[in-house]
Amino acid sequence: MSPTPGDDPHAPRRGPVARQAARPPGEHEVKGLAFRDAYRDEYGEDPEGYGAEDPAGPGPSASPVAREPRRVTWQKLTFLPALLAAVLLATWLWFARADLDPISRNALSDGQVGKALRQHVELTALSTFFVLIIAIPLGILLTRRRFRKGAPVAMALANTGQATPAIGLLALLVIWLGIGERAALTGIVIYAVLPVLSNTIAGLRANDPTLLEAARGIGMSPLGVLTRVELPLAVPLILAGVRTALVLNVGTATLATFGGGGGLGVLITTGITNQRMPVLMLGSILTVVLALLVDWLASLAEIVLSPRGLEVRS
Amino acid sequence: MNFWDYLGTRHQQLLTDAYQHASAVFQCMVVATVIGVLIGVATYRSEWAGNLATTVTSTVLTIPSLAMIGLLIPVVGLGVAPTVTALTLYGLLPIVRNAIVGLRGVDPALVDAAKGIGMSRLHRLARVELPLAWPPILTGIRVSTQMLMGIAAIAAYASGPGLGNEIFRGIASLGSKNALNQVLAGTLGIVVLALLFDAAYVLIGRLTIPRGIRV
Repeated sequence: MSPTPGDDPHAPRRGPVARQAARPPGEHEVKGLAFRDAYRDEYGEDPEGYGAEDPAGPGPSASPVAREPRRVTWQKLTFLPALLAAVLLATWLWFARADLDPISRNALSDGQVGKALRQHVELTALSTFFVLIIAIPLGILLTRRRFRKGAPVAMALANTGQATPAIGLLALLVIWLGIGERAALTGIVIYAVLPVLSNTIAGLRANDPTLLEAARGIGMSPLGVLTRVELPLAVPLILAGVRTALVLNVGTATLATFGGGGGLGVLITTGITNQRMPVLMLGSILTVVLALLVDWLASLAEIVLSPRGLEVRS
Repeated sequence: MNFWDYLGTRHQQLLTDAYQHASAVFQCMVVATVIGVLIGVATYRSEWAGNLATTVTSTVLTIPSLAMIGLLIPVVGLGVAPTVTALTLYGLLPIVRNAIVGLRGVDPALVDAAKGIGMSRLHRLARVELPLAWPPILTGIRVSTQMLMGIAAIAAYASGPGLGNEIFRGIASLGSKNALNQVLAGTLGIVVLALLFDAAYVLIGRLTIPRGIRV
């Protein structure tokens, strides 16, 4: 295919046209002077037609698509999973050659490893779900005018809560609720609610009040302001809270074994009490891999789900 | 036996445990602070090394402490060794991160001025950069200490010292009359220790943060 002269697909087709025609969108003429809305600085976006006015000169790179940096680089996509796969492979190879004594074999037989892993994932997912449906609405409530007085109390409580050891909290719940998954789940949820709550409150509070004022000024209802302005602006912080919760929960879920809640902690504690290093190593390695994998997935979600307008460009 | 009676009869044991808990956390924090600040000083000037240090520390931070202790036991055995190693390792992380952020945040003009009046590299670091970066580093130390309080409790499962033993004794004797007392004593003891340490850090901040940069 040979492009005819003047019809080069890479040439700035818009440039000359835009300049001859009326001013491009976003530009106005005020008393004979050209003014341009500060779209680019505000949002880091390049609406249609702006590339043409670029002082660096219109060129192929000036098209909006080309200057958009990739949100997820391939290094980020591949490095960690590859590393984790290598670790798992090495562990598997080591186990295939290791000769286990009856106690170790007993602890790892009958799909107990799979069961522990499944329980662990289940505990993490369930607890994260509960953390989110408790902490985020509560955070929203505590930033409304009527309940705003409660926020400092919640924050102070969150700070003291951090000083409470997870294992002590879990043990108290086990005594109160009895051994089983319920006590473990409750403990994990309580332990993670506070950080996510304080994250949500901080995120909603950090919103520029002039934006909220503007939203109200154009006649948005309180609900509209919340769902269309406040929450989208707070998404990055809330997502960071979700990530925190997930990582915390994977960790706290290892302690579920002390309350009869199962999970990968079972393998670790069995390994320690029976002095069986293969069991201990397998439990620990699987826990580490799971934690890093969950953190990686959450970091991807953080990047993909953040509103594009809020991205920080260097 | 109610809780107060329990505290009365067992105060000797509890005080020993509390002392060991506090001393383990304190010693590990001192080591972690020294190593953490050294790592920060060594890496903050290079974009690449500083980012590597930050990434590595945040990755290690996502590893659950029980799994970390589990990985350490085959290497260093049971008892005090895995506790101290795990505590120091976790203690490092917030300090390294905050030291790098703090040192990078120092106004280059101030460093330049220090150079201009003839201060050597070491002098600049000790007299200008580190004092200015101290508040974030101290925050890192506070965060680390709170975290270590909880991790030290878990480390008791690998025969480590401290109040965690009280909690695990309670878990082992679930259903007995003293289980609640033991768990409660261990948990509240750790909370009290954490708050005491925090108060001490506020005091240290008052005394050591240069008056000119206090907020």
